[in-house]
This record gives sequence, C-alpha cells and structure tokens, in this order.
Amino acid sequence: MASDTSSAHDKHDEHGHGIAHVAAVKVLLGTWIALMFLTIITVAATKIDLGTNWNLALAMVIAVVKATLVVLFFMHLAYDKLFHTVLVVAGLFAAALFVGFALMDSGQYQQTIIWDTDKPPPAPIGPRPVP
Amino acid sequence: MSDHDHDHGHGDDGHGHHGGHGHGSPWIQHHYDDAQHQFDSGKLGIWFFLVQEVLFFSGLFVAYILYRYHHPEIYAYAHSYLDVKWGAINTAVLIISSLTAAWAVRCAQLAQRRGLIFCLAVTIACACGFLGIKYVEYSHKIHERILFGKKFDPCIASAGNHLLNKENYCPGVKTSVVWDAKTNKADRGCLDAPTGYDWDPALKGIQGKCVVNELTMSGTGANRKEVSRRPVEACAPSPDHGSGHGGGHGKQTYPCWTLEQNPHVCPKGPGAMVHYGDHTSRGSTVEIEVTCEAVPAPVEPKDALAPVDGKLERGEASFKKPVTPSKHDLKHEFQSGPPPEHTNMFFSIYFAMTGLHGLHVLFGIFVYIWLLVRAIKGHFTPDYFGPVDYAALYWHLVDLIWIFLFPLLYLIH
Amino acid sequence: MSADLDNTVSYLEVKKGLGSWLYTLDHKRIGMMYLCGILFSLMLGGAFALLVRTELFSPGMTIVGQDWYNKFFTLHGAVMVFLVIIPGIPAALGNMVLPIQLGAPDVAFPKLNLASFYLWCSGAFLLLLATGLGGVDTGWTFYTPYSIETQTAVIPAVAGAFLLGFSSIFTGLNFLVTIHKFRPAHMGWFQMPLNLWALYATALMQVLATPVLGITLLLLFVERFMHIGIFDPTLGGDPVLFQHFFWFYSHPAVYIMIVPGMGVISEMITTFARKPIFGYRFIAYSSVALALFSFLVWGHHMFVSGQSRLANMVFSALTFSVGIPSAIKVFNWAATLYKGDIRLDTPMLYVLSFLILFTIGGLTGIFLAVLSIDVHLHDTYFVVAHFHYVMMGSTLVAFVGALHYWWPKLSGRMYPETIGRVCAWGVFIGFNLTFLPQFVMGSRGMPRRYWDYDPEYTLYHRISTVGAFILGVSLFVVVCYLAWSLKRGKKATKNPWGASTLEWEAPTPPTVFNFPEPPPEVEIYNYDDLVEVPNANEDGVTNWERRPAADKPATSSHH
Repeated sequence: MASDTSSAHDKHDEHGHGIAHVAAVKVLLGTWIALMFLTIITVAATKIDLGTNWNLALAMVIAVVKATLVVLFFMHLAYDKLFHTVLVVAGLFAAALFVGFALMDSGQYQQTIIWDTDKPPPAPIGPRPVP
Repeated sequence: MSDHDHDHGHGDDGHGHHGGHGHGSPWIQHHYDDAQHQFDSGKLGIWFFLVQEVLFFSGLFVAYILYRYHHPEIYAYAHSYLDVKWGAINTAVLIISSLTAAWAVRCAQLAQRRGLIFCLAVTIACACGFLGIKYVEYSHKIHERILFGKKFDPCIASAGNHLLNKENYCPGVKTSVVWDAKTNKADRGCLDAPTGYDWDPALKGIQGKCVVNELTMSGTGANRKEVSRRPVEACAPSPDHGSGHGGGHGKQTYPCWTLEQNPHVCPKGPGAMVHYGDHTSRGSTVEIEVTCEAVPAPVEPKDALAPVDGKLERGEASFKKPVTPSKHDLKHEFQSGPPPEHTNMFFSIYFAMTGLHGLHVLFGIFVYIWLLVRAIKGHFTPDYFGPVDYAALYWHLVDLIWIFLFPLLYLIH
Repeated sequence: MSADLDNTVSYLEVKKGLGSWLYTLDHKRIGMMYLCGILFSLMLGGAFALLVRTELFSPGMTIVGQDWYNKFFTLHGAVMVFLVIIPGIPAALGNMVLPIQLGAPDVAFPKLNLASFYLWCSGAFLLLLATGLGGVDTGWTFYTPYSIETQTAVIPAVAGAFLLGFSSIFTGLNFLVTIHKFRPAHMGWFQMPLNLWALYATALMQVLATPVLGITLLLLFVERFMHIGIFDPTLGGDPVLFQHFFWFYSHPAVYIMIVPGMGVISEMITTFARKPIFGYRFIAYSSVALALFSFLVWGHHMFVSGQSRLANMVFSALTFSVGIPSAIKVFNWAATLYKGDIRLDTPMLYVLSFLILFTIGGLTGIFLAVLSIDVHLHDTYFVVAHFHYVMMGSTLVAFVGALHYWWPKLSGRMYPETIGRVCAWGVFIGFNLTFLPQFVMGSRGMPRRYWDYDPEYTLYHRISTVGAFILGVSLFVVVCYLAWSLKRGKKATKNPWGASTLEWEAPTPPTVFNFPEPPPEVEIYNYDDLVEVPNANEDGVTNWERRPAADKPATSSHH
C-alpha cells in the first residue's frame, strides 16, 4: 500500500505511487498568493474609470484568470484525466448556450415590455392616443 | 438537499466476483476492484456533480446578464447600496478556505493527520466567517428595507442621502411620505429621523389613502375661509371642465380629476382624483384639498418583512403644487436621484444569487464537519481520502461561483 | 447491506423482510422498488386521465366543473411526466439491467442509488400532498404569472418536482460513472449493448439539463413564497424568461423520456428478429446526437409566447434537424427486421407498436416545427396527440415491452403469454382510438386544456374516451398479471428469448452481485451461437443455450 510521504514526489506528476497526484506546497501557496493579489487588483481596478463596459470586461478577465487558477491547481484539473476538462468545457458550453439564446430572444422582445407604467411605450404596445 | 452521499462500506472479502484483494482501508467498497478504482470513480462522479451545479447556477447568471444588458441603469444605481468592503473580505475568506481545503487533501494523501484536522477546521472556520459576514450584510439590508420585489423600500439614495424631496417624492417606495406643506417639513414617512424633523420613527412607511374634498371658499386674503366642503368620491365626468391637462388635445376627455402631482404618495387609480390647477379654471371659490389617511392594519414596527401598513396618528397632510427642484436642491437633497423604475429587480437577483450561494456554503459546512469528525476518528489514509478530495472540489466550486459573483454584484462601476 | 451476503442465491431470496428492502444497496432491489412506485404512479396518472376523458365525453359539464377539470389534467400531466415517464425506464429497468449488462456487481454509487430512490419517494409524496391539498390547476408546465397568483397547492407540487429532479440527476450521475468505470476490459465503447449507449446519452441529458429545472422551480417557489419578483411583470420580472428557463430543461426532458425507450427497443428488436442490429454505430452515435441536439431546440415550445421572430426562426430550423437522428434509428430498426426470423412474442408486439406509433409521433412533431403551421396548431389537440404518441405510444409502450422482456430474468417468472399478447393489442388499439381522433380535432381547432367544446367535436371526444378506457383497462390488466406471475407464473429459464447480451448469462434471477462466477465474454448481437432448447424446465419454458465457442467458428456479424 503506497503511503509515500517523500516530498520528492510532490514535484512530479506522479501516477506510479499513491492513488493520485499530490499537490506541491509551492503550487498551493503560489496559487493562493496569486488569488489574493488578483482580488486586490480587482478591487483597485474599480477606482480607474474606463467606462462601465470596459470596467466590466476587465473585472471579468481577472475573474476568469482567478477561476482558471482555482480550477487548474486547487482542483487538480491540470494533473487529471483529460475527460474531466472535457466535462467542464461541456458544462460551460451548455450554460453559454442557455445564456446566448435567452439574451438573443429577450433582446428582440424588449420593446414589447412595459417597464415603467408612468412612461408606457407608444402604441400599439402602450395605450393608444385618444383621438 | 443536494448533498452527495459519500459511501462507506465495511468489510470485504473479495466476495464472489473479480474483486481485488489486499484492500488496506476498510472503506474500500466490495464492488470496486481496488482503492484506485473507487477513487477514480468517485472523482468522475463529483466532476459530473460539479458540472450539474454550474448549470444549476447558470439560470441565475442568465437572469443577471439579461437584466444588466437591458437595464444597466438599475445596476449602476443599485450596486452602491452594497458595501465593497464586506464583499472583498468575503472573497479573501473564501480563497483562504479554498487553500486549506486543497491542503487538507494533500495532508490526507500524505497521512498527515494533524495537518488534515487543522486544515479542515480552518476551512470550516472560514466558511462560518463567510456566513457571519453575510448575516451582517443581510441584516443591514433588512433594516434599511433594501430588499426584493415589493419590499424594496429604501429611504436613502444609494449615495446615502435621503430620498425625500419637497414634492413628497420618495421613489422606489410605493408607500407614502407625508409632507406638511404648512410647516414645509416631512411629517411622517420612511425617513430615519433626520435633524429638524420631529416624528415617530415607529411609523415607517405608511400607506395612504387619498381623500379628496372640494372646498367652497369665500372671501379673500386673510378673510378667506371655508364655506362648505364635499368629498369628491367617484370618477364622474364633469362637463364644465373643458380644458384638461396633460395630453388633452382639443376635446377634453378626462372624465376625472387626476392627481397629477405626488403620484407615489396616494395610490393611483379610479376613485378620488384631483387635478391640480383646476381651481384656477373653476374660479377662486374652489380649492382642492387632499388628505392622506392611513390604511389600517397596524403592524409590529420591528417586523422588517411585514407589509408596510401602519397607523397615522396625528396631523393631516396637504399638498402644494410642486416646484421643479433647482440644481441646488438636487445636489444637496438627493445626489443620485431617485432609484430608477424597478430597481428592486437588481435586489431580486442579488438575493437569489447570494442566497443560493450562501445555502451552498452552509451545506459545505455540514459536509466539512462530517469530514472533520471522520478525520479525527482516523478514517482517512493515503489509500482512502476520496471524501476529502471530493468535498474540496465542491468547495472550490463554491469559491469559483463567488469569484464571479463578487465583481458582478459588488464592483459595478 | 454488507458484502458478506451469499452470492449463490437469487437476489430476491438472499435476505427477507421489509428492512432488507428499505435499506438495500442492491441495484436490482432498488430497481424493483422503483418499478412498484412507478407502476402505482402510472395507475394514478391514468386514473386522472380517465377522469379528464370522462369529463370530455360530452360538451359542458359531465362529471365535474372547470376548476376540478383543470386540476385533473394538471395532476395527470405532473404525475405522468415527473413520476412515471422521466424516471420510468432509467430508474426501474436501467437500474436493474445496466450493471448486469456490463458484468459489474453493482452501480458505481449504491448508496447514492438508494438516496435517489428516496428522493423519488419524497417527490412523489409531495405531489400526492399537493393533490390532497386541493390540487394544482396551472397545467404541468407551471407557467407564470398564473402559477404565482393561483391559490392552489403549487408550492408542494413544485417542491416535489424539485426533489424528483435531483433523483433524476443522481441516477444519471450514477449511470455515467458506472458506464465509464465498470466496463470489463474486453468491452470497449463499441462492444456495449445499445441499451447502454441510450442510457449513457440519457444520463448526460439528466445531468446537464435537470439542474436548470431545479433552479426554475426554486425560483418559482421563492417567487410564490416571498415575491422575489423575477417572473412577476408587475415587479419588473419577465414571464417569458420563466418559459425559457422551464423549456431549457423540459425539452431535453422529453429526450430523457424517449432515448431510453429507443435503447430498449434496439435490444428487443434484434432479439426477436434474431438478427444483429443494423447500423450499430449509427444508432450509437444518433443516441448521443439526440442528447446534444436536444439542448438546441427548446424554443419550439414557445413559438407563440412572445418570443421574438428571430428566435422563432432559429428554433424552427434547429427542430427540423433534431428529427434526423430519430429517423436514422427508425430506418435502422426497420432494416433490422428485414429478412429477420421474427417471433411475435409479447415484447415484440410492443416493439412493432412502438415503430408505428413513434413514426407517427415523430412526424407530427415535424409538422409542429413549421412556424406557420404551429401558429394554428399550438395549444390544440394536435399537440396533445403528438406528445402522447411520442411519450405514451413510444416511451410507455417501450417501457411495458421491456418490462415483459426482462421480466423473466428479474423476477424468475414468466408472465402469461396469451393475456400478454391480448393486452398488447388492447394497448395498441386503445391508444390509437384515443389519440388519432385528437389529431383531427386539433387541426380543426379544438383547443387543449378546455373543459368545454363546440358540439361539432363531440364524436371525436367520444371515440377518444372509449379508446382511453380500453387503453386503461389493458394497462391495468398488465400490471395485474405481472403481479400475479410473481407467485403463480411459470418459472423462467436463463434465456427464454435467445437474447445475446451479457445479462442473459447471469442466473435467473441474478444473485445479489449478479454473477456467481466471473461473467463470460460474449459477442453481442451474434445469434449464431444460440440454440433453442424447448421445454427446458419443469414448466415447459424454452431456453436458449450458447454452444461452446470451440464447436463453431464465431462469425462476427455485427460491426
């Protein structure tokens, strides 16, 4: 029964000993520091004004980088079977499909919505002008 | 409860099938060939579960994206009700707990029992800290009535200023604020007692019912006094009120007197309605007086989620013709202006997303407590640490979702 | 259930007592319990259906008023969809058969399997509670804003459906991991029986689509409970969004229903034609293609809901394409029958029914995919007939057929063949009498979910009601004789049909870990090695035996 505690194993992508790859301390701590740092950057970036959309894009890029670090290193996806990565991508793709179609459709029917009853849209959706 | 069960079997003798032998850990189940088989299967299983969780949350992300895309103004206004400081602390806390969760797996793999117990305990502590901060945030919102749906009833603008203005306009609030035009002050309503106002803070958010009286006056100037009054009750056509207001082109078709000003104070709709300025066309002998009466059903004022009816106990209100607020007024009285229509939708989405996420954190705490108990009992060995690994993967997903929620909700520019 | 159970005794006998069933980890017992629950729910949902059809026998009020009518059709739909058809084949038959077809001792996560069953039970309980609390009248689709405002018992119904969703997810998860991790070394992906391909595709859909139902129902629950506002237009919410959320799951859900049916049909058709399945890879690929395509077409339920024209066109085009994998399968099955040695046992009668009814159901789906036609046919009886052809005429028929097919293996008993055939005809005739007139009615304008109708439709409704009773009685008799056969049926042999997949090499009934010795390696869909031995046991039941491989060169006839 493999119960290897040698730290030499930590540095390699091992499948010979033990059941699964053991995360190296450096990798764990390094990822953690990167995540904390990126969090600080994210908050600081709101102080810079690039316009709402670009700020959003920047925040999302940083979030995706953080997410990638978590998934690859904390969740071991970098060292796991490729199928697990395929699964994650498939799930994200399904979610993106959902978002994409819903957004496309809702964009098209927005003008039929009476958002503010004090300011109804013009006829034929809103009230008809009284002749 | 979407709690995934982690199996523990006991005792195997490689019964009857092509089982493996030499299972070290008693937790390897009989239908698996060996520890590796069990671990790999469990790992695949938890990844399927995580994909499912992503799709579970995806619905809320769809709602978020749709509303943000089509109504960015409500996001821009509403997000500053959220405190970035707490959000950032929560993010940091979850990242630390992610580290300890991943480290716990390492400890289990290397048979470091004390390290394992320590890491699991810290993870639980961080998770509890997260929930504690969430409690602080939520209770603040409940107190300020910054809630979802009809309960979105803030009296402060997102910049911290009071939303009340001289026009009795406390928008976002479909309850009344009562402005006493005689003293030119807010008489009662949803303000916290600002300086200079004297009122009863227990009477927050009172609904009003309009009673409109048509007063026949006589005399002028200091001698002007009321002769008689009649209530204007029904929405009846008034043939002698020719030139209507607000959109009537040519032929008058407004059958009723409409309450044009202070629409949020008294409920709109058929019933008594008053058309300001009408007295000038009717002659100086007529005045219109509108009073707001409380809709009964007194309620315990401390119950934040109760409907906002309450009793008015003193005074009467009257309204004056509105004045367009000057730039000076705007700047000082409500810097951000009133909330845009349906700002409550932001909070519906905020509470749905953070609430569901918080529920997942809570489930995670239960799972980790169970793991901690098992770790103390020494169940985990380098051959059998699957539950620690799978729970860590779940926990990382919870962290991942927060990594996206934080900028999307708190850091809107 | 500990591992020191005797693996030489049938799983039904190995341990007795209620507790041994309620705490079992044996996938076969769990499947049996699911089967009991599902058949009970089938009878319950069928009872609601008969109430609906009785009310519709004449225009105006026949037995109940409008409110009760609304509740009857809602409960019929909710019970059938959530308790019978979605779990049906995977939870009952899949649980029982999948590991044995793999030669595995159990599914990957037996405790999760039991948990799934108890989730199903809790969901069923909540749906029954909703029924008891006055029912629900929103239609099984729970459209907002009515479902937010109605005073009926929506909350327990929605909570029940939520739990049923998780039961489905965990079952799917279990199957996916089992198929990945428990195949024997010699059984690659393309040496698996097609039933397993179908269950795999179904499980993929269960895991990817059902959580969206979960969030939808959760939001509806919170909407009713706390008025959160997401679907309520007066608060700024969007009711069409509810429909997007709901159908994003519910369209893949209908494929979750039909694909396992297709899987069992593939198994049965090849056995009863004594011919290898035609186009194995095509059927395998089209199962997965259906699973993937099913995510692209949900908007076709929403053509007249306020969805935009652009989305309508996109979804219409995609819906045409989703018919292609199904069509491929139908052609392959027909080709399997061609020049086969067809035996018309009861399961085969159901298979043939399936082929006819599924073709009709599938083609009428294409009619509905055409936008201009759908505008007329949406929410009419045409749609009702279409989905009953595919959900009931296809899935349920496949389920009942497969139940007969595997009944000998799993219960150790034969059902009575003559009554079986009579009931199969009863189901076929009753079904067509019920639903063919509905196509005509619908195209002539009869709307669905209507309590009353113009007298011109009366004849169609009456034929439909008579057919419904024939159908209901036939299915009831099926359940009765299956129960009867548990104690009084003829004892079954190991392989009464001469099927070629691995589960028929297990004892009848299987032992608790399925095989007392390691399972042999068999080449599926190869009938050359199987020899019929009539009167093989004391009850005169036929058995089919495999000739030892050395006696005859194996001709590989499946690709």
